[in-house]
Amino acid sequence: MKETKIKINNLSVFFNYTQALNNVSLDVFNNKVTTLIGPSGCGKTSLLRTLNRMNELIGGFKIKGHVFIDDVDIYEKNIDVVNLRKLVGMVFQKSNLFPKSIYENLIFAPTINGIKNKTELNEIIEKACIQAAIWNEVKDRLTENAYNLSSGQQQRLCIARVLTAKPDILLMDEPASALDPISTNKIEELIYDLKEKYTIIVVTHNMQQAARISDYIAFLYMGQLIEYDKTSKIFTNPANKQTEDYITGRFG
Amino acid sequence: MERPIDIQLEKLRNKLIKMGSLVDEQVDFAIRAIEENNLDLAITVIERDLNVDKYDDKIEKVCQKIFALNNPVAMDLRTIMSTLKINANLERISDLSVHIAYIYKDLGTKPAFFGSLHFSEIFRLVRQMLKYAIDSMINSDADTAKRITGVDNKLDELVNLDSKILINVMKNSADTVEQGVLTYSLLQELERIGDHSTNIGEEVYFAVKGESIRHRSEKSKENE
Repeated sequence: MKETKIKINNLSVFFNYTQALNNVSLDVFNNKVTTLIGPSGCGKTSLLRTLNRMNELIGGFKIKGHVFIDDVDIYEKNIDVVNLRKLVGMVFQKSNLFPKSIYENLIFAPTINGIKNKTELNEIIEKACIQAAIWNEVKDRLTENAYNLSSGQQQRLCIARVLTAKPDILLMDEPASALDPISTNKIEELIYDLKEKYTIIVVTHNMQQAARISDYIAFLYMGQLIEYDKTSKIFTNPANKQTEDYITGRFG
Repeated sequence: MERPIDIQLEKLRNKLIKMGSLVDEQVDFAIRAIEENNLDLAITVIERDLNVDKYDDKIEKVCQKIFALNNPVAMDLRTIMSTLKINANLERISDLSVHIAYIYKDLGTKPAFFGSLHFSEIFRLVRQMLKYAIDSMINSDADTAKRITGVDNKLDELVNLDSKILINVMKNSADTVEQGVLTYSLLQELERIGDHSTNIGEEVYFAVKGESIRHRSEKSKENE
């Protein structure tokens, strides 16, 4: 049975005088992959960054409406944003590793969360790397600089680093757009495996990737949610003409 | 703005329309061979089946190419899936026309009992169903596609009625069995052309509306 993990109610987002999202309501289901699609500037990334309050780092940000995670409104005044971002991890288009060793990258989150015991740290990073399907490639290179890894490995290391914080939700903003087909395939397999334990929301411009990895798809256009449905429905018989035009490449 | 897939889809559509006209002519010639007692028409049907087969191969190849190169989705995906199935049904209708042509050749003349059965009406219904199927396919017309099922019910009734008449005739006279069996086969082949036309209509409806009406008639029959 599908269970709502994130409930977005009448969400509008503004950056100064620009409205990025207009009255969006959406239920994101637990242990499912939900993909946000739409043309550039439609509000996909704004919506994604609203879910871990990353937008607040941008000046002029204003929000109307509510975002509930596990029935808790994450925009309530008493919410600890640091804890929220532990719960809602994020992976970006380009890997953003620290110019440090693989090991130092991996222990960063557990260390700032107060874990000092080396055995415990080692267990956490091994588990995260196994989940991110990178352990075999890094286990003998932990002291090497993380930048020595290939771009595909760096991206999977970023995912492993996010997992060390033990999140519930993973946000991925075009996680494979800069990768070759083999690395892309590994990331897609990883997303498929990770959904057993996490709720995953992905932004992608790649329609085939959206079709391959997601259970649900939300199509956004000019800040509005045009259609939200199961992936198979969206790609075989979308209800809305704009969705049809977008996914078949007729837009514009 | 035209997309690369549009050029391929247009090519596919043109090939399917040509195949549709060829098959329409196959059925028309097969029926006229019987109506006009014309062996030449029957032979033409047998010979032309090869052309239909060639179109069948060509259409399948274009579909494969579109799938491989364009990753079709939504309406594009439904159109190609339907085209593949319509193609298979048209090819089968041509085969059935050939069977009818051979039956006529074996009979050597109009079927026995031609006058006492409902052949004129059956021929009319078969032609009408195929016309609806091809028209709905050319015009992407879901309403016409849906009308085929109604005609198919009438056709089935007449074929059942005539089959019973034939069986009774054969029961009563052993001399009639040879001609009777051939005539019975003829009725069955015509009924199958009706079924394939119905299938085409269902595929057109699916491509246009995105919903399947394939098993609806069976369900309503069950409820009756």
